Amino acid sequence: MSESALLENYLIVGGLLFGIGLVGFLARRNMIIMFLAAEMMLQGISLSLVAWSRFHGDWGGQMLVVFVIAVAACEAAIALALVLRLFGVAGKLDVTVWQNAREDGVPAFVDRELPEEADAAPADWPKLTPAGREPAPKEDEVPERSHV
Amino acid sequence: MFDPLKIETLTVLIPALPLLAAVLTAALGPAVLKKHSHWPAALAGGISCVLSVLLLFSVRANLPEAAHAGDAAAGEAAGHQASAGFETVVVLWNWAAVKDALPTPAAALPSTDAVGPLDQMLDVQVEVALRSDTLTSIMLAMVTFVSTLVIIYAAGYMHGDRGYWRFFTYVSLFVFSMTMLVSVSNFLLLYVFWEAVGMCSYLLIGFWYEKPEAAAAGKKAFLVNRVGDFGFALGLFLLWTTYGTLNFHDAGGVAGILGETRLSAAAVYVGGGTGLAICLLLLLGACGKSAQFPLHVWLPDAMEGPTPVSALIHAATMVTAGVYMVARCTPLFFASYAEPYVAGGWSIDAPSIVAVVGCFTALLAALIALTETDLKRILAYSTISQLGYMFLGLGVGTLAGVTAGMFHLFTHAFFKALLFLGAGSVMHAMGGVIDIRRFSGLRRLLPITFWTFLIGSLALAGIFPLAGFWSKDAIVAAVADRGHHEGGLYQWLYIIALITACLTAFYTFRALFLTFFGRETIPPEAGEHAHESPPSMTWPLGILAGCAVVVGFYFEWTHGFAEFLIGTPSISYLAERATGPIGEFHMDVAAISTVSAVLGIAVAAFLYLGEQNEVRVLTRLMGPLYRMSHGKFFFDQLYQGLVVWPLAGLAKFSFWIDRWLIDGLVNFCGRLPVWLGSALRNLQTGLIQFYALAMVLGLLVLLVTLIWQNG
Repeated sequence: MSESALLENYLIVGGLLFGIGLVGFLARRNMIIMFLAAEMMLQGISLSLVAWSRFHGDWGGQMLVVFVIAVAACEAAIALALVLRLFGVAGKLDVTVWQNAREDGVPAFVDRELPEEADAAPADWPKLTPAGREPAPKEDEVPERSHV
Repeated sequence: MFDPLKIETLTVLIPALPLLAAVLTAALGPAVLKKHSHWPAALAGGISCVLSVLLLFSVRANLPEAAHAGDAAAGEAAGHQASAGFETVVVLWNWAAVKDALPTPAAALPSTDAVGPLDQMLDVQVEVALRSDTLTSIMLAMVTFVSTLVIIYAAGYMHGDRGYWRFFTYVSLFVFSMTMLVSVSNFLLLYVFWEAVGMCSYLLIGFWYEKPEAAAAGKKAFLVNRVGDFGFALGLFLLWTTYGTLNFHDAGGVAGILGETRLSAAAVYVGGGTGLAICLLLLLGACGKSAQFPLHVWLPDAMEGPTPVSALIHAATMVTAGVYMVARCTPLFFASYAEPYVAGGWSIDAPSIVAVVGCFTALLAALIALTETDLKRILAYSTISQLGYMFLGLGVGTLAGVTAGMFHLFTHAFFKALLFLGAGSVMHAMGGVIDIRRFSGLRRLLPITFWTFLIGSLALAGIFPLAGFWSKDAIVAAVADRGHHEGGLYQWLYIIALITACLTAFYTFRALFLTFFGRETIPPEAGEHAHESPPSMTWPLGILAGCAVVVGFYFEWTHGFAEFLIGTPSISYLAERATGPIGEFHMDVAAISTVSAVLGIAVAAFLYLGEQNEVRVLTRLMGPLYRMSHGKFFFDQLYQGLVVWPLAGLAKFSFWIDRWLIDGLVNFCGRLPVWLGSALRNLQTGLIQFYALAMVLGLLVLLVTLIWQNG
C-alpha cells in the first residue's frame, strides 16, 4: 500500500471522527454527550495530524498531538467540573436550560419539550419489607435528579 | 504725604466709603449687625457727603478768576480758553491696554506737541480715572446728601423688614456706583457704572421679590433699560471709531473726547451725520436711564420697590444719570448743533431732538399723571415729566439751557425726594395703602408730613420763591429766548412747557388735596394706630423741605449755580462760543409760568376741595380723553402688542424648532444604532448550538471560498 493511500485512509477515518463529532455536538442536548462529541472532533484532528506527520516524516505533528492530548485532559477536567456544577444548579444536563446569555427581549428557544419520564416505579412493583422508619430526606438538601 | 483734604484724595474717598459700607454690610449684616445694618451705610453716606461739600469748595477755590467773575466769554484770546475751567484727573490704575487697536481716525488729535503726528495705529487705553470738576462735584454733593437723608429715613421705614441688611447693602452699592458714575473720566467706565446703577435699581425694585408685581417690575425696568443701553453701547463704538479714544481727559498721547486739547482747538468735533448719530445713540441711552419717551414705561412700575428706593434712585439720583451724561457731552451735542445733518431740505441737529423728546415726554407724563390714583405713581409720572423738562433745557443748545437743565436736576432732587419720602410716610401710616381714593383728610393726623409735602408740592408746581420756581423758570426762559430769536420749533416748545407747568401744578395739588384735605378717612389696613412717622423719618423730611425752600433762592440770588457750572471745561466750551447771557432772570416768563402754575392749583382746588361733583361731570364730558389718560395712553399695551408678543411668538417658534427639529435629529442619531442593533438582536439566543452552527457555517464559507479561489 502506497504511502499516499495509507494517508488517505487515515484522513478518511479522521474526517469521519470529526464529522460524527461535529454532528453530535450540534444535534445533542446532553452536555456530557456534547462534551464527548467535542472530544471526538479533537481526536479526528489529532489522527489526521499524526497521519500527516507520518506522511511527511516530520515528528512535529506527533509532538503536537501529544500536546493536544495533554490539553484535552486538562480541558476534560475543567469541562466536567463545569458540567457537574451546572447539573448541581439546574438538576438537568439539558444544555437548552442555559440560555441566559441571550439578548434582552429575545424569547427563549424551545425546540421540543422533553417528554416527562414516566414514574420510575410502577405501583405494582414488589416492595421490600419496611424495616424501621422510612428516612425523610430534606427537600432542600437533596438536588432533584429526575432526568439524568 | 497723605493729605485728606487734597482734591485727589477726596475724589477717591467719596466713592470708596460707600463701597466699604456695602462690603461691610454684606459680610456682617446677617450675623453681626442685624438691626444695626443701617449704620455703615449712614456713616459712609454722611462722611461722603461732608467730603463732597469739601470737594465742592476745593474745586470752587481752584477755579480761575475768569470763571469766577462769570465772564468766561471775554478775556484772553479765544482758542486757549478751555483752561477757563478747572478739572483734576486721578488715574488709579490702567485697566486695559491693547496695542495697535485702531487705524488713527481723522478726528483723533495728539494731546501734546511733543508727541508729534500720531502713529498709524492707535492703542486702546482704559484707565480707571476719576475726575473732579464743577459738574462732578455738584452731582456728588447732591447724590451723597440725598442718599444720606434717605438712608436715615429708610432706617425708620424699613424697620423690622426681613431683608434689612440686604436693603442697606444694595443702597450702599448704589451710592458707590452712582458716585463713580458721576466721577469717572472715561466713557467705558461710565458705561460700566451706568450698568451698575441699573443693576442696583433692578435689585431694589425687586427687593420684595416674593411679590410677583415687584419681581415683574424689576424685570421690566431691566429689560427696557437694555434697549437704551444697547444704543449707548453703539454710541460708544461710534465714538471710538470717530475720535480714537474713549477718555474724557487727554491720555496716552491722544486728546480725550472732552479733554483740554480738543476743547481748546477749534472745530475738532465731528458734526454732520456721524455727529448726529453719536448724539442720538447717546440720547437713546439717556432716554432709557432717565425714562424718557419712548422708554418711559419702566419708571411707574418701578414704584413697586420700597419708597426710600423710589425717592433715592427713581426720583433724585439714578434717573438723572441720563441728564448728567447729556450735560457732560455738551460739546458733542453742540457740534451737531453747529454743523447739522442736512437731508432732503431738512436740517437735523441733535439738541433740537433732545428738546422735542424732553418736551413731549414732559407733556405726556403730565397728562397721564392727571388721572393716576396711586400717589407714588403720580410722583413717578411727575418725575418723568420733570426729567423731560431737564432734557428740554439741555436741548435748547445754549449755555443758559444747559445750566438751567442742570439746575433743575439739582433742585428737583431735593423736592422730589421730599415728596417721595412724604408719600412713604403716608404709606407707612396707612398700613401700605397708597391709593389716594382710599384715604383723605390726613393733615391733622400727619402734620409734619403734610407741611413738608405741601412745601414739596409748591416747589414742584414752581411757586415763588421755592426751588422749583427758579429752576423751571430758568428752563422755560432759555426756551423762550431761543424761540424768541428763531421762532418755529422752540416757540412751540415754549408753549407746551407752559401748558405742562400748569398741568404739573394741577396734578400735584390734586394729589395733595385728595390726601390731606376733606373728611378724615383711614383705610382698615392702617388699623387703630395710624400715626405720624418716627423721628428718623420726619427729620429727613424737614431737612429736605428746608433745602427745597432755600436752594433755588440761594443760587439764584448769588448767581452761583450757572457760573459755578461753567467752571467745567466741557461746559465752558459752550460759554466761549458765546451763546447768549446766562442765568438772566426773565420777569415776563416768570410771571407767565407762575400764573399758569397758580391756575393749575386753583383748578385743582376748585375740583377736589369739597364735594367733587364737578369731577364726575368732567370725567363724563371728557370720556375718551379721560380713558386715554387713565390708560397711560396705552403704551404698555402698544409695546405688548408690537414688541413683547412678536418676540414671544418668535421665541415659541424657536423653541418648537429646537424641540422637534434639532432635538429630533439628535435623537434620531441616538436611536439609529439601537434600531440597527435590534435587527441583529435575534441572533443572540444564548443557545450554544447556534453559536456552534454559526462557526461551522462560517468555516464552510471559508472553505468554499478557498476552493473557489484555488480551483
